[in-house]
Amino acid sequence: MRILMLGWEYPPHIAGGLGIACEGLTRALARQELEIHFIVPQLFGDEDAEHMVLQEPHRRRVPALAKQELTSEEYSLFGEDEAGGSPLRIPALLKPYWNEEDFEYYLSTRSDLKETFQQLADLGSGFFEEETESTEGGAVKKKSGYGPDIFQEIGRFTARVLQSVLPSVGTTKEYDLIHAHDWITFPAGVSLARELQIPLITHVHSLEYDRSGGHHGSERIRGIERLGVTHATKVIAVSHYTKSIIHREHSIPKEKIAVVHNGIYSKEVRNHYSTQWKGKRKVVLFLGRITIQKGPDYFVQAAKRVVEHIPEVLFVMAGTGDMLGKMIRLTHELGISENFHFTGFLKEHEVEQMFSAADLYVMPSVSEPFGISALEAIDFNTPSLISKQSGVAEVLAHSLKFDFWDRDRLSDLIINGLLHEELRKDMVLMAREELKRLRWDTAASKTRELYYDVLS
Amino acid sequence: MPSVCFYFQVHQPYRIRPFSFFESSPSADYFDESANRSIMKKVAEKCYLPTNQLLLELIHRFEGRFRISYSITGVALEQMQRYAPEVLDSFQQLVRTGCVELLGETYYHSLAGVYHRPEFLEQIKLHRDLLNELFGVSPTVFRNTELIYNDAIGEIIQDLGYKAIIAEGADDILDWRSPNFLHHLPGGSLKLLLKNYRLSDDIAFRFGDRGWKSYPLRSETFAEWIHRGSGNAEVVNLFMDYETFGEHQWDSTGIFDFLRHLPEQILAKGDWDFATPTEVADRYPARGALPVERLTSWADEKRDLTAWNGNEIQERALREVYEIHEEILRRGDRELLDISRRLQTSDHFYYMCTKWAADGDVHAYFSPYDSPYDAFIYYMNVLRHLRARLGLQGEAEHHI
Repeated sequence: MRILMLGWEYPPHIAGGLGIACEGLTRALARQELEIHFIVPQLFGDEDAEHMVLQEPHRRRVPALAKQELTSEEYSLFGEDEAGGSPLRIPALLKPYWNEEDFEYYLSTRSDLKETFQQLADLGSGFFEEETESTEGGAVKKKSGYGPDIFQEIGRFTARVLQSVLPSVGTTKEYDLIHAHDWITFPAGVSLARELQIPLITHVHSLEYDRSGGHHGSERIRGIERLGVTHATKVIAVSHYTKSIIHREHSIPKEKIAVVHNGIYSKEVRNHYSTQWKGKRKVVLFLGRITIQKGPDYFVQAAKRVVEHIPEVLFVMAGTGDMLGKMIRLTHELGISENFHFTGFLKEHEVEQMFSAADLYVMPSVSEPFGISALEAIDFNTPSLISKQSGVAEVLAHSLKFDFWDRDRLSDLIINGLLHEELRKDMVLMAREELKRLRWDTAASKTRELYYDVLS
Repeated sequence: MPSVCFYFQVHQPYRIRPFSFFESSPSADYFDESANRSIMKKVAEKCYLPTNQLLLELIHRFEGRFRISYSITGVALEQMQRYAPEVLDSFQQLVRTGCVELLGETYYHSLAGVYHRPEFLEQIKLHRDLLNELFGVSPTVFRNTELIYNDAIGEIIQDLGYKAIIAEGADDILDWRSPNFLHHLPGGSLKLLLKNYRLSDDIAFRFGDRGWKSYPLRSETFAEWIHRGSGNAEVVNLFMDYETFGEHQWDSTGIFDFLRHLPEQILAKGDWDFATPTEVADRYPARGALPVERLTSWADEKRDLTAWNGNEIQERALREVYEIHEEILRRGDRELLDISRRLQTSDHFYYMCTKWAADGDVHAYFSPYDSPYDAFIYYMNVLRHLRARLGLQGEAEHHI
């Protein structure tokens, strides 16, 4: 079986958990002998993806094994990548690089595709345009939280995917189904599935509902999400929590949505930071984007009460986001700035050091489809306090859970977590046992079953 | 003439309420009055009242040949008095038939037998006094919390003058021996009645299990299993939680019909009868000494104490409650003594059990809290509040 996957990012060049989840899932699927062609908007040359064909639109990266099987004549059909790396152009392209006019012409010959794009265009003032929102002062402010031209980028990505995949398919059936990760890839997924007449699985890792902290968010993004889950043959949600929101927000019948919890890889090397970082002060960690979705203000409010009882505690807010400045001001207003340390954006090894240094990890998300960081913390012997409004709460029994708005309870849990080493130790010990059950292989098996299900 | 010996455990703890670290009222109540009331009322309705009624009918019907025993904790009796007096009435009615024996145990269903000997003796005495007051009886056979037993506990109970003690027939303790004969404390005269866990658990755990090969279990079949012991058994000890009937095994499983027909099936074979623990101890000789070094219980696969003290949070909570209790004993405050004894009830530590695998699920079923960690946190918040009432510094804060 050959799967065409569409994603937005791939490690090590990632902005969030999506790339990590895509890597974990595809590696485990490859072990179950599924062939995956994975398209991301851009490759940097240092991706480690020998288990599948990882490609940019236009370009296709050939795994080492496949390369050896090529004759020199075939190999000459590939052009070298600018960087001289292994990403190679797709062979047998009728037109390796279409310009926009070519693309427009192509679309004009495909009325069904045009309809899809029309639907996309109808969702807002213009699908390829920047989303803006007027504020009271008349200034123009971005609302989506993504780059200024996110919709243009999605449009370009969609166009390029169609350009590169459709001509290469020709008349033979190259792919059995399409698996699209998150809303950004849904337009491409929906268009391709229609064109190729194959099943589409849309995989929901997060929703606009989550990112806007349980509010309405961007109407246009919600529209694209709805398009993706409506046109999909089946939908994968990363948690029962997310499934219920998809059902509620987009009126998708529950039978159409399968829950596949993310897995996690334990990395053995992760402990060696502990000794050099553990200081005398107890450290309570918030790590993630400092945005409304992640509930940073609840963290600061809870900290205020903790400091009253444990004055020497140190709260670390690691990460950046549009609420960072507000949070810094809030710690001053509450008179607890001495107890706070803001790190800004952290690189991967710094994240690991931060987890190692922490005594407790707090994830007060207002709405969190999964929340894999709560599992990563366990690898560094740091127990997790997680909001009940998260998917990870479904799989991590050995954690402490709270409603994100319940600041009294959160501060109670933090205080008890700091006071009782026995509690921290047992939580980590038992959570490690739980993580053993939460493998990517389990997620891949469920996904594979779903593939056979939609193809039968 | 072999006997079937029924003993049913009746116990309800005072569950503590989700207690906040920030609770500032000095007179705050630690116990969840409304949960405890509603659970007592629910169990009374589903189990205590219908089962008592059924057993009373059976006792009358068999005119003294059907005999049973109970161990009812002091905290359960208190809650019956307070929330369901009709349940206490029906137990008193049963005891008046003369076919029902009551066993002695710790008033608070505590682990004092393991952690605090003077307290153990005191709680046994309190329970004995309560049985005297409510039922006019003095127990002659002892049952320790969760059937926790070893030689050291046996010696204490022997010294108190009991004839016999109830214990688990754990495989590693019995070795080649059979639980279907009486044994005695090495170097002593205290007799040991050992639970036949296979036959007991057929009723208590497997009865309603649709995946079990013997499902649905009929009373004829079960009686046949008992009768197989003929010639090779003097007593078959069927020990279980009373809540098995109607609460753990719902009415819909047919458990009441099973119980209704069991006595006639057992008695159908001429030489079998029913006897209470004291009658068993009087009638049958001990066939040998049974040394028990390790602490045993009737819980989990290993029949050990790890469900109550197997992890560090449980150890911490146990250590602190006995420290505080020691201080309260020194001051002799009766109200606080009652509180710190209620906090010693084993269930509080059971709720903190985090053992993984199959056993963990069983514990989750009986817990009123979201997680074992919540159980620990509420408990420690209560201890902290209690320490503040005593004017003791919260030592924990200094350790951080």
